[in-house]
Amino acid sequence: MPGFPLLDRAPEAILFRSRERPQTREDFLADVARVAQALPDARWLVNCCENRYWFAVVMAAGLLREQPSLLTSDHSALGLAWLNQRYPGAILVSENEAPDSPYVHYRVMPPAGGTPPPHPPNPDVPGDRVAAVVFTSGTTGEPTAHVKPWGGLVARSRAAGERFGFVEAAPATVIGMVPQQHMYGFETTLLLPLHAAVASWADAVFYPADARAALAAIPAPRVLVATPLQIRALVDFGLPEPPELVVSATAPLASSLAEAAEQAWNTEVYEIFGATEVGSIASRRTVRDIHWTMYPGLSLQATSDPPLIHAPFLQPRQLNDDIEVLDSGHFRLIGRGGDLVKLGGRRASLAGLNHILARIEGVEDGVFVVPDDLDRHPSARLLAFVVAPERAASEILADLRGRIDPVFLPRQIVRVESLPRNRVGKLTKDALTALRETVEPE
Amino acid sequence: MFGSEQRPFENEIARLIVASLHLEIDPRDIGPEHPLFGEGLGLDSIDALELALVLSRDYGMELRSDDPENSRIFSSLRSFAAHIEVGRTKGSKGTPDLEAV
Repeated sequence: MPGFPLLDRAPEAILFRSRERPQTREDFLADVARVAQALPDARWLVNCCENRYWFAVVMAAGLLREQPSLLTSDHSALGLAWLNQRYPGAILVSENEAPDSPYVHYRVMPPAGGTPPPHPPNPDVPGDRVAAVVFTSGTTGEPTAHVKPWGGLVARSRAAGERFGFVEAAPATVIGMVPQQHMYGFETTLLLPLHAAVASWADAVFYPADARAALAAIPAPRVLVATPLQIRALVDFGLPEPPELVVSATAPLASSLAEAAEQAWNTEVYEIFGATEVGSIASRRTVRDIHWTMYPGLSLQATSDPPLIHAPFLQPRQLNDDIEVLDSGHFRLIGRGGDLVKLGGRRASLAGLNHILARIEGVEDGVFVVPDDLDRHPSARLLAFVVAPERAASEILADLRGRIDPVFLPRQIVRVESLPRNRVGKLTKDALTALRETVEPE
Repeated sequence: MFGSEQRPFENEIARLIVASLHLEIDPRDIGPEHPLFGEGLGLDSIDALELALVLSRDYGMELRSDDPENSRIFSSLRSFAAHIEVGRTKGSKGTPDLEAV
Protein backbone atom coordinates (compact mmCIF):
# COMPACT_ATOMS: atom_id res chain seq x y z
CA MET A 1 0.00 0.00 0.00
CA PRO A 2 1.64 3.26 -1.11
CA GLY A 3 1.97 5.92 1.55
CA PHE A 4 0.63 9.45 1.49
CA PRO A 5 2.52 12.11 3.46
CA LEU A 6 0.81 14.07 6.18
CA LEU A 7 1.38 17.13 4.03
CA ASP A 8 3.17 18.20 0.88
CA ARG A 9 3.94 21.86 1.32
CA ALA A 10 7.07 23.94 0.81
CA PRO A 11 9.28 24.52 3.87
CA GLU A 12 8.07 27.51 5.88
CA ALA A 13 4.74 27.52 4.00
CA ILE A 14 1.91 29.05 6.04
CA LEU A 15 -0.84 26.50 6.65
CA PHE A 16 -3.21 28.45 8.88
CA ARG A 17 -3.72 32.13 9.60
CA SER A 18 -5.65 33.76 12.41
CA ARG A 19 -5.79 36.97 14.39
CA GLU A 20 -2.66 35.70 16.11
CA ARG A 21 0.54 34.58 14.43
CA PRO A 22 0.40 32.38 11.34
CA GLN A 23 1.08 28.66 11.75
CA THR A 24 3.68 27.24 9.40
CA ARG A 25 4.32 23.76 8.08
CA GLU A 26 6.97 23.29 10.82
CA ASP A 27 4.63 24.50 13.59
CA PHE A 28 2.01 22.06 12.41
CA LEU A 29 4.30 19.04 12.16
CA ALA A 30 5.80 19.79 15.59
CA ASP A 31 2.35 20.11 17.19
CA VAL A 32 1.16 16.91 15.48
CA ALA A 33 4.19 14.97 16.79
CA ARG A 34 3.70 16.37 20.30
CA VAL A 35 -0.06 15.70 20.44
CA ALA A 36 0.36 12.23 18.91
CA GLN A 37 2.65 11.33 21.83
CA ALA A 38 0.29 12.76 24.41
CA LEU A 39 -3.11 11.48 23.30
CA PRO A 40 -4.63 8.83 25.53
CA ASP A 41 -5.51 5.42 24.17
CA ALA A 42 -8.88 5.35 22.48
CA ARG A 43 -10.54 3.79 19.45
CA TRP A 44 -11.89 7.07 18.12
CA LEU A 45 -11.49 10.78 18.71
CA VAL A 46 -14.60 12.92 18.88
CA ASN A 47 -12.89 15.96 17.40
CA CYS A 48 -14.71 18.98 18.83
CA CYS A 49 -12.01 21.61 18.27
CA GLU A 50 -13.47 24.95 17.23
CA ASN A 51 -10.23 26.45 15.98
CA ARG A 52 -9.43 24.95 12.59
CA TYR A 53 -5.71 24.72 13.29
CA TRP A 54 -6.24 22.61 16.39
CA PHE A 55 -8.90 20.57 14.63
CA ALA A 56 -6.37 19.71 11.91
CA VAL A 57 -3.61 18.95 14.46
CA VAL A 58 -5.89 16.55 16.35
CA MET A 59 -7.10 14.90 13.15
CA ALA A 60 -3.49 14.38 11.97
CA ALA A 61 -2.23 13.18 15.36
CA GLY A 62 -5.11 10.71 15.53
CA LEU A 63 -4.34 9.55 12.00
CA LEU A 64 -0.77 8.66 13.03
CA ARG A 65 -2.13 6.71 16.01
CA GLU A 66 -4.90 4.99 14.03
CA GLN A 67 -7.53 6.91 15.99
CA PRO A 68 -9.94 8.25 13.36
CA SER A 69 -11.66 11.57 14.07
CA LEU A 70 -15.42 11.40 14.35
CA LEU A 71 -16.76 14.54 12.70
CA THR A 72 -20.00 15.54 14.30
CA SER A 73 -21.40 19.02 14.33
CA ASP A 74 -24.00 18.04 16.91
CA HIS A 75 -22.25 18.84 20.18
CA SER A 76 -25.43 18.80 22.24
CA ALA A 77 -25.54 16.43 25.20
CA LEU A 78 -28.08 14.34 23.30
CA GLY A 79 -26.02 14.23 20.11
CA LEU A 80 -22.85 13.25 21.96
CA ALA A 81 -24.71 10.54 23.86
CA TRP A 82 -25.97 9.09 20.56
CA LEU A 83 -22.42 9.03 19.20
CA ASN A 84 -21.10 7.41 22.37
CA GLN A 85 -23.56 4.56 21.93
CA ARG A 86 -22.58 3.98 18.32
CA TYR A 87 -18.83 4.43 18.79
CA PRO A 88 -17.86 3.06 22.19
CA GLY A 89 -14.26 3.55 23.27
CA ALA A 90 -13.98 7.11 22.00
CA ILE A 91 -12.62 10.14 23.82
CA LEU A 92 -13.55 13.76 23.21
CA VAL A 93 -10.80 16.17 22.20
CA SER A 94 -11.04 19.95 22.11
CA GLU A 95 -9.02 23.05 22.90
CA ASN A 96 -11.72 24.23 25.31
CA GLU A 97 -13.14 23.02 28.57
CA ALA A 98 -15.01 19.74 28.55
CA PRO A 99 -18.61 19.98 27.36
CA ASP A 100 -21.43 18.17 29.10
CA SER A 101 -21.00 14.65 27.72
CA PRO A 102 -20.41 11.03 28.67
CA TYR A 103 -16.86 11.21 27.29
CA VAL A 104 -13.40 11.28 28.77
CA HIS A 105 -12.07 14.67 27.66
CA TYR A 106 -8.57 15.46 26.42
CA ARG A 107 -7.72 19.14 26.12
CA VAL A 108 -5.24 19.97 23.39
CA MET A 109 -2.94 22.85 24.34
CA PRO A 110 -0.31 24.98 22.66
CA PRO A 111 3.30 23.95 23.38
CA ALA A 112 4.38 24.75 26.94
CA GLY A 113 7.40 26.69 25.71
CA GLY A 114 11.00 26.00 24.79
CA THR A 115 12.26 25.30 21.30
CA PRO A 116 10.46 22.57 19.39
CA PRO A 117 12.63 19.94 17.64
CA PRO A 118 14.17 21.54 14.52
CA HIS A 119 13.00 19.10 11.86
CA PRO A 120 9.70 17.56 12.84
CA PRO A 121 8.90 14.46 10.76
CA ASN A 122 6.37 14.42 7.91
CA PRO A 123 5.35 10.77 8.12
CA ASP A 124 3.84 8.72 5.32
CA VAL A 125 0.48 7.21 6.13
CA PRO A 126 -0.98 4.16 4.34
CA GLY A 127 -3.62 5.30 1.88
CA ASP A 128 -6.28 2.95 3.18
CA ARG A 129 -5.98 4.07 6.81
CA VAL A 130 -9.18 5.70 8.03
CA ALA A 131 -8.68 9.39 8.84
CA ALA A 132 -12.20 10.40 9.65
CA VAL A 133 -15.81 9.31 9.86
CA VAL A 134 -18.25 11.85 8.49
CA PHE A 135 -21.98 11.82 9.08
CA THR A 136 -24.64 12.86 6.62
CA SER A 137 -26.88 15.59 7.90
CA GLY A 138 -30.17 14.19 9.01
CA THR A 139 -32.38 15.00 6.08
CA THR A 140 -33.78 11.47 6.31
CA GLY A 141 -33.61 10.84 10.03
CA GLU A 142 -30.75 8.80 11.56
CA PRO A 143 -27.28 10.07 10.60
CA THR A 144 -25.36 7.74 8.28
CA ALA A 145 -21.61 7.21 8.77
CA HIS A 146 -19.13 7.52 5.91
CA VAL A 147 -15.58 6.30 6.41
CA LYS A 148 -12.81 8.39 4.84
CA PRO A 149 -9.49 6.71 3.99
CA TRP A 150 -6.48 9.05 4.02
CA GLY A 151 -5.40 8.30 0.44
CA GLY A 152 -8.72 9.39 -1.04
CA LEU A 153 -8.74 12.62 0.95
CA VAL A 154 -5.18 13.47 -0.12
CA ALA A 155 -5.85 12.64 -3.77
CA ARG A 156 -8.89 14.90 -3.93
CA SER A 157 -7.18 17.74 -2.03
CA ARG A 158 -4.37 17.68 -4.57
CA ALA A 159 -6.95 17.57 -7.36
CA ALA A 160 -8.83 20.57 -5.94
CA GLY A 161 -5.58 22.51 -5.66
CA GLU A 162 -4.84 21.76 -9.29
CA ARG A 163 -8.38 22.65 -10.40
CA PHE A 164 -8.30 26.07 -8.76
CA GLY A 165 -4.73 26.78 -9.81
CA PHE A 166 -3.24 27.27 -6.34
CA VAL A 167 0.55 27.60 -6.57
CA GLU A 168 3.18 27.87 -3.86
CA ALA A 169 4.62 30.99 -5.54
CA ALA A 170 1.49 32.98 -4.62
CA PRO A 171 -0.35 30.99 -1.96
CA ALA A 172 -4.01 31.85 -1.43
CA THR A 173 -5.87 31.93 1.87
CA VAL A 174 -9.22 30.21 2.29
CA ILE A 175 -11.80 31.86 4.52
CA GLY A 176 -14.31 29.17 5.40
CA MET A 177 -17.82 29.97 6.60
CA VAL A 178 -18.87 26.33 6.49
CA PRO A 179 -18.43 24.08 9.54
CA GLN A 180 -15.30 21.93 9.48
CA GLN A 181 -17.26 18.88 10.63
CA HIS A 182 -19.21 18.96 7.39
CA MET A 183 -17.53 17.00 4.59
CA TYR A 184 -17.27 20.05 2.40
CA GLY A 185 -15.84 22.27 5.13
CA PHE A 186 -13.49 19.48 6.22
CA GLU A 187 -12.09 19.24 2.70
CA THR A 188 -11.85 22.92 1.81
CA THR A 189 -10.70 24.41 5.12
CA LEU A 190 -8.71 21.61 6.82
CA LEU A 191 -7.33 19.23 4.21
CA LEU A 192 -6.66 21.71 1.42
CA PRO A 193 -3.90 23.55 3.38
CA LEU A 194 -2.06 20.24 3.85
CA HIS A 195 -1.93 19.25 0.20
CA ALA A 196 -2.50 22.37 -1.89
CA ALA A 197 -0.80 25.77 -1.85
CA VAL A 198 -3.33 27.51 0.38
CA ALA A 199 -3.54 28.67 3.96
CA SER A 200 -6.81 28.46 5.87
CA TRP A 201 -8.26 31.06 8.23
CA ALA A 202 -8.41 29.22 11.57
CA ASP A 203 -10.86 31.41 13.50
CA ALA A 204 -14.61 31.05 13.36
CA VAL A 205 -16.21 33.08 10.56
CA PHE A 206 -19.93 33.21 10.93
CA TYR A 207 -21.25 36.77 10.88
CA PRO A 208 -20.78 39.04 7.86
CA ALA A 209 -18.55 41.27 9.99
CA ASP A 210 -16.29 38.26 10.72
CA ALA A 211 -15.81 37.67 7.01
CA ARG A 212 -15.09 41.33 6.40
CA ALA A 213 -12.50 41.43 9.20
CA ALA A 214 -10.81 38.23 8.01
CA LEU A 215 -10.66 39.52 4.43
CA ALA A 216 -9.04 42.73 5.65
CA ALA A 217 -6.48 40.83 7.74
CA ILE A 218 -4.98 38.59 5.08
CA PRO A 219 -3.06 39.13 1.87
CA ALA A 220 -4.57 38.41 -1.57
CA PRO A 221 -5.43 36.11 -3.15
CA ARG A 222 -8.32 35.27 -0.85
CA VAL A 223 -10.86 32.50 -1.38
CA LEU A 224 -14.25 32.73 0.28
CA VAL A 225 -15.89 29.36 0.89
CA ALA A 226 -19.54 29.80 1.77
CA THR A 227 -23.08 28.57 1.27
CA PRO A 228 -25.42 30.40 -1.12
CA LEU A 229 -27.25 31.85 1.88
CA GLN A 230 -24.05 33.30 3.30
CA ILE A 231 -23.00 34.64 -0.09
CA ARG A 232 -26.33 36.44 -0.37
CA ALA A 233 -25.91 37.94 3.11
CA LEU A 234 -22.41 39.14 2.26
CA VAL A 235 -23.56 40.72 -1.01
CA ASP A 236 -26.18 42.65 0.98
CA PHE A 237 -23.72 43.52 3.75
CA GLY A 238 -20.99 44.73 1.41
CA LEU A 239 -17.33 43.76 1.37
CA PRO A 240 -14.87 46.64 0.90
CA GLU A 241 -12.07 44.12 0.34
CA PRO A 242 -13.72 41.39 -1.68
CA PRO A 243 -12.35 37.87 -2.18
CA GLU A 244 -10.49 37.08 -5.38
CA LEU A 245 -12.37 33.78 -5.67
CA VAL A 246 -15.66 32.51 -4.27
CA VAL A 247 -16.48 28.84 -3.88
CA SER A 248 -20.04 27.79 -3.09
CA ALA A 249 -21.52 24.43 -2.22
CA THR A 250 -23.99 22.44 -0.10
CA ALA A 251 -27.01 23.82 -1.94
CA PRO A 252 -27.67 24.79 -5.56
CA LEU A 253 -26.44 28.27 -6.30
CA ALA A 254 -28.88 30.41 -8.28
CA SER A 255 -27.09 31.86 -11.28
CA SER A 256 -28.64 35.25 -10.49
CA LEU A 257 -26.87 35.23 -7.13
CA ALA A 258 -23.61 34.02 -8.68
CA GLU A 259 -23.85 36.87 -11.15
CA ALA A 260 -24.62 39.43 -8.43
CA ALA A 261 -21.60 38.31 -6.40
CA GLU A 262 -19.33 38.30 -9.45
CA GLN A 263 -20.35 41.85 -10.28
CA ALA A 264 -20.33 43.24 -6.74
CA TRP A 265 -16.89 41.89 -5.99
CA ASN A 266 -15.33 41.73 -9.44
CA THR A 267 -14.60 38.09 -8.81
CA GLU A 268 -15.35 34.59 -10.11
CA VAL A 269 -17.86 32.36 -8.37
CA TYR A 270 -17.46 28.59 -8.61
CA GLU A 271 -19.62 25.79 -7.34
CA ILE A 272 -18.29 22.49 -6.08
CA PHE A 273 -20.30 19.34 -6.69
CA GLY A 274 -20.09 16.60 -4.15
CA ALA A 275 -21.83 14.44 -1.66
CA THR A 276 -20.81 13.27 1.77
CA GLU A 277 -20.35 9.71 0.47
CA VAL A 278 -17.78 10.69 -2.15
CA GLY A 279 -16.63 14.19 -1.19
CA SER A 280 -16.06 16.92 -3.74
CA ILE A 281 -15.70 15.56 -7.25
CA ALA A 282 -16.42 18.31 -9.78
CA SER A 283 -16.76 22.05 -10.22
CA ARG A 284 -18.16 24.67 -12.53
CA ARG A 285 -18.32 28.44 -12.85
CA THR A 286 -22.02 28.96 -12.33
CA VAL A 287 -22.56 31.93 -14.64
CA ARG A 288 -20.67 30.30 -17.50
CA ASP A 289 -20.97 26.52 -17.38
CA ILE A 290 -24.01 24.33 -17.74
CA HIS A 291 -21.97 21.17 -17.33
CA TRP A 292 -19.71 20.11 -14.46
CA THR A 293 -16.04 19.23 -14.91
CA MET A 294 -14.66 16.33 -12.88
CA TYR A 295 -11.61 16.93 -10.70
CA PRO A 296 -8.34 15.72 -12.23
CA GLY A 297 -7.78 12.03 -11.50
CA LEU A 298 -11.49 11.27 -11.11
CA SER A 299 -13.63 9.93 -13.91
CA LEU A 300 -17.09 8.85 -14.93
CA GLN A 301 -17.99 5.54 -16.47
CA ALA A 302 -20.97 5.94 -18.74
CA THR A 303 -21.10 2.33 -19.89
CA SER A 304 -22.96 1.37 -16.76
CA ASP A 305 -26.42 2.58 -15.94
CA PRO A 306 -26.51 4.52 -13.69
CA PRO A 307 -23.00 5.85 -14.40
CA LEU A 308 -20.19 5.06 -11.97
CA ILE A 309 -17.71 7.42 -10.34
CA HIS A 310 -14.10 6.28 -10.26
CA ALA A 311 -11.98 7.98 -7.61
CA PRO A 312 -8.86 6.96 -5.66
CA PHE A 313 -9.62 4.79 -2.59
CA LEU A 314 -13.30 4.68 -3.39
CA GLN A 315 -15.12 1.62 -4.67
CA PRO A 316 -16.58 2.59 -8.07
CA ARG A 317 -19.97 3.85 -7.11
CA GLN A 318 -23.02 5.54 -8.46
CA LEU A 319 -24.25 8.89 -7.31
CA ASN A 320 -27.63 9.31 -5.72
CA ASP A 321 -28.06 12.08 -8.22
CA ASP A 322 -29.42 11.84 -11.71
CA ILE A 323 -26.63 12.83 -14.09
CA GLU A 324 -26.10 12.73 -17.82
CA VAL A 325 -22.52 11.81 -18.71
CA LEU A 326 -21.11 13.90 -21.57
CA ASP A 327 -17.67 12.25 -21.47
CA SER A 328 -15.47 10.72 -18.77
CA GLY A 329 -14.68 14.17 -17.39
CA HIS A 330 -17.96 16.06 -17.80
CA PHE A 331 -21.57 15.64 -16.81
CA ARG A 332 -24.81 17.50 -16.66
CA LEU A 333 -26.84 17.39 -13.45
CA ILE A 334 -30.42 16.43 -14.17
CA GLY A 335 -31.61 16.07 -10.61
CA ARG A 336 -30.47 15.53 -7.08
CA GLY A 337 -31.01 12.02 -5.84
CA GLY A 338 -34.04 10.55 -4.18
CA ASP A 339 -36.23 13.33 -5.41
CA LEU A 340 -38.19 11.88 -8.28
CA VAL A 341 -41.76 13.02 -8.27
CA LYS A 342 -44.34 11.12 -10.28
CA LEU A 343 -47.53 12.78 -11.37
CA GLY A 344 -49.98 11.93 -14.11
CA GLY A 345 -47.66 9.18 -15.31
CA ARG A 346 -44.79 11.60 -15.69
CA ARG A 347 -41.59 11.84 -13.73
CA ALA A 348 -39.61 14.89 -12.79
CA SER A 349 -36.80 15.59 -10.43
CA LEU A 350 -37.65 18.01 -7.66
CA ALA A 351 -34.13 19.38 -7.80
CA GLY A 352 -34.59 19.93 -11.50
CA LEU A 353 -37.86 21.78 -10.91
CA ASN A 354 -36.21 23.81 -8.15
CA HIS A 355 -33.41 24.65 -10.50
CA ILE A 356 -35.85 25.95 -13.11
CA LEU A 357 -37.68 27.92 -10.45
CA ALA A 358 -34.45 29.50 -9.22
CA ARG A 359 -33.72 30.73 -12.74
CA ILE A 360 -36.98 32.63 -13.11
CA GLU A 361 -36.35 36.34 -13.18
CA GLY A 362 -36.77 37.93 -9.76
CA VAL A 363 -36.81 34.60 -7.90
CA GLU A 364 -34.09 34.69 -5.25
CA ASP A 365 -34.85 31.33 -3.73
CA GLY A 366 -37.57 28.77 -4.21
CA VAL A 367 -38.61 25.22 -3.55
CA PHE A 368 -41.26 22.85 -4.81
CA VAL A 369 -43.07 20.87 -2.17
CA VAL A 370 -44.87 17.59 -2.70
CA PRO A 371 -48.11 17.20 -0.75
CA ASP A 372 -48.47 13.99 1.25
CA ASP A 373 -51.55 12.90 -0.65
CA LEU A 374 -50.02 13.35 -4.09
CA ASP A 375 -50.26 9.66 -4.93
CA ARG A 376 -53.86 9.22 -3.86
CA HIS A 377 -55.63 12.53 -4.28
CA PRO A 378 -56.63 13.17 -7.91
CA SER A 379 -56.56 16.93 -7.60
CA ALA A 380 -53.31 17.09 -5.64
CA ARG A 381 -50.56 19.12 -7.25
CA LEU A 382 -47.22 20.50 -6.26
CA LEU A 383 -46.94 23.76 -4.47
CA ALA A 384 -44.02 26.12 -4.45
CA PHE A 385 -42.56 28.51 -1.93
CA VAL A 386 -40.67 31.40 -3.44
CA VAL A 387 -38.62 34.33 -2.24
CA ALA A 388 -39.37 36.95 -4.87
CA PRO A 389 -40.00 40.38 -3.38
CA GLU A 390 -40.51 42.07 -6.72
CA ARG A 391 -42.75 39.56 -8.47
CA ALA A 392 -46.33 38.44 -8.12
CA ALA A 393 -47.20 34.75 -7.87
CA SER A 394 -49.15 35.00 -11.14
CA GLU A 395 -46.10 36.37 -12.96
CA ILE A 396 -43.91 33.56 -11.68
CA LEU A 397 -46.49 31.00 -12.71
CA ALA A 398 -46.67 32.56 -16.16
CA ASP A 399 -42.88 32.28 -16.48
CA LEU A 400 -42.92 28.65 -15.37
CA ARG A 401 -45.43 27.72 -18.06
CA GLY A 402 -43.65 26.35 -21.06
CA ARG A 403 -40.54 25.60 -19.06
CA ILE A 404 -41.93 22.64 -17.18
CA ASP A 405 -44.49 19.98 -17.90
CA PRO A 406 -47.90 21.49 -17.08
CA VAL A 407 -48.67 18.68 -14.64
CA PHE A 408 -45.84 19.87 -12.44
CA LEU A 409 -46.89 23.50 -12.40
CA PRO A 410 -47.49 24.53 -8.80
CA ARG A 411 -51.16 24.74 -7.87
CA GLN A 412 -50.24 27.34 -5.35
CA ILE A 413 -47.25 29.67 -5.20
CA VAL A 414 -46.61 31.01 -1.73
CA ARG A 415 -44.40 34.05 -1.51
CA VAL A 416 -42.25 34.03 1.62
CA GLU A 417 -39.50 36.29 2.89
CA SER A 418 -37.02 33.43 3.20
CA LEU A 419 -36.82 29.64 3.21
CA PRO A 420 -35.96 27.79 6.44
CA ARG A 421 -32.55 26.58 5.30
CA ASN A 422 -30.27 25.07 7.93
CA ARG A 423 -26.72 26.17 8.67
CA VAL A 424 -25.35 24.50 5.57
CA GLY A 425 -28.10 25.87 3.37
CA LYS A 426 -30.21 22.74 3.10
CA LEU A 427 -33.92 22.41 3.52
CA THR A 428 -34.56 19.45 5.76
CA LYS A 429 -37.67 17.30 5.51
CA ASP A 430 -38.83 18.65 8.87
CA ALA A 431 -38.34 22.26 7.81
CA LEU A 432 -40.31 21.65 4.62
CA THR A 433 -43.07 19.93 6.53
CA ALA A 434 -43.25 22.86 8.94
CA LEU A 435 -43.30 25.28 6.02
CA ARG A 436 -46.12 23.36 4.35
CA GLU A 437 -48.14 23.41 7.53
CA THR A 438 -48.11 27.21 7.51
CA VAL A 439 -50.30 27.12 4.41
CA GLU A 440 -54.03 26.89 4.97
CA PRO A 441 -55.71 24.14 2.96
CA GLU A 442 -57.63 25.62 0.06
CA MET B 1 -43.70 41.85 38.11
CA PHE B 2 -41.34 44.21 36.33
CA GLY B 3 -38.98 41.40 35.26
CA SER B 4 -41.54 39.70 33.03
CA GLU B 5 -42.69 42.78 31.17
CA GLN B 6 -40.97 44.22 28.13
CA ARG B 7 -39.43 47.64 28.39
CA PRO B 8 -40.10 49.92 25.40
CA PHE B 9 -36.80 49.27 23.67
CA GLU B 10 -37.11 45.54 24.34
CA ASN B 11 -40.49 45.67 22.63
CA GLU B 12 -38.94 47.44 19.66
CA ILE B 13 -36.34 44.66 19.36
CA ALA B 14 -39.00 41.97 19.87
CA ARG B 15 -40.98 43.45 16.98
CA LEU B 16 -37.83 43.58 14.87
CA ILE B 17 -37.06 39.91 15.57
CA VAL B 18 -40.59 38.79 14.75
CA ALA B 19 -40.77 40.88 11.58
CA SER B 20 -37.36 40.05 10.20
CA LEU B 21 -37.54 36.32 10.98
CA HIS B 22 -41.26 35.98 10.13
CA LEU B 23 -42.12 34.30 13.37
CA GLU B 24 -45.72 33.33 13.92
CA ILE B 25 -45.92 34.89 17.35
CA ASP B 26 -46.95 38.15 18.92
CA PRO B 27 -43.83 40.16 19.79
CA ARG B 28 -45.37 40.94 23.18
CA ASP B 29 -45.30 37.22 23.99
CA ILE B 30 -41.51 37.03 24.00
CA GLY B 31 -40.52 36.89 27.65
CA PRO B 32 -37.67 39.30 28.30
CA GLU B 33 -35.74 36.70 30.27
CA HIS B 34 -36.41 33.69 28.02
CA PRO B 35 -33.63 32.33 25.80
CA LEU B 36 -33.75 33.39 22.15
CA PHE B 37 -31.91 30.39 20.71
CA GLY B 38 -32.40 26.67 21.03
CA GLU B 39 -35.10 26.15 23.60
CA GLY B 40 -37.09 29.25 24.28
CA LEU B 41 -37.78 31.14 21.08
CA GLY B 42 -36.03 28.43 19.07
CA LEU B 43 -33.93 30.59 16.81
CA ASP B 44 -31.07 28.94 14.93
CA SER B 45 -27.82 29.97 13.31
CA ILE B 46 -29.49 31.08 10.09
CA ASP B 47 -31.66 33.41 12.16
CA ALA B 48 -28.51 34.75 13.79
CA LEU B 49 -27.09 35.54 10.36
CA GLU B 50 -30.31 37.33 9.41
CA LEU B 51 -30.37 39.28 12.67
CA ALA B 52 -26.76 40.35 12.08
CA LEU B 53 -27.79 41.85 8.74
CA VAL B 54 -30.80 43.62 10.22
CA LEU B 55 -28.82 45.07 13.13
CA SER B 56 -26.17 46.33 10.75
CA ARG B 57 -28.81 47.96 8.58
CA ASP B 58 -31.06 49.45 11.26
CA TYR B 59 -28.71 50.14 14.13
CA GLY B 60 -25.31 50.38 12.47
CA MET B 61 -23.84 47.75 14.74
CA GLU B 62 -22.06 44.55 13.98
CA LEU B 63 -22.12 41.14 15.61
CA ARG B 64 -18.81 39.27 15.77
CA SER B 65 -18.04 35.61 16.49
CA ASP B 66 -15.03 36.55 18.60
CA ASP B 67 -17.08 38.60 21.04
CA PRO B 68 -16.58 36.75 24.35
CA GLU B 69 -19.92 38.17 25.49
CA ASN B 70 -21.88 36.42 22.74
CA SER B 71 -23.46 33.71 24.85
CA ARG B 72 -24.58 36.32 27.36
CA ILE B 73 -25.81 38.71 24.63
CA PHE B 74 -27.98 36.07 23.03
CA SER B 75 -29.16 34.59 26.30
CA SER B 76 -32.38 36.62 26.37
CA LEU B 77 -34.32 39.40 24.71
CA ARG B 78 -33.35 41.62 27.64
CA SER B 79 -29.59 41.17 27.26
CA PHE B 80 -29.83 41.30 23.46
CA ALA B 81 -31.74 44.59 23.56
CA ALA B 82 -29.36 46.02 26.16
CA HIS B 83 -26.41 45.13 23.93
CA ILE B 84 -28.00 46.91 20.96
CA GLU B 85 -28.96 49.94 23.00
CA VAL B 86 -25.36 50.42 24.08
CA GLY B 87 -23.65 49.47 20.84
CA ARG B 88 -25.82 51.08 18.19
CA THR B 89 -24.47 53.87 16.06
CA LYS B 90 -27.75 54.53 14.26
CA GLY B 91 -30.99 55.47 15.88
CA SER B 92 -34.42 54.17 15.18
CA LYS B 93 -37.70 55.96 15.71
CA GLY B 94 -37.34 59.17 17.67
CA THR B 95 -33.63 58.83 18.32
CA PRO B 96 -31.11 60.90 16.36
CA ASP B 97 -29.45 59.19 13.44
CA LEU B 98 -25.80 59.64 14.22
CA GLU B 99 -24.76 59.09 10.62
CA ALA B 100 -26.91 61.99 9.55
CA VAL B 101 -25.50 64.40 12.12
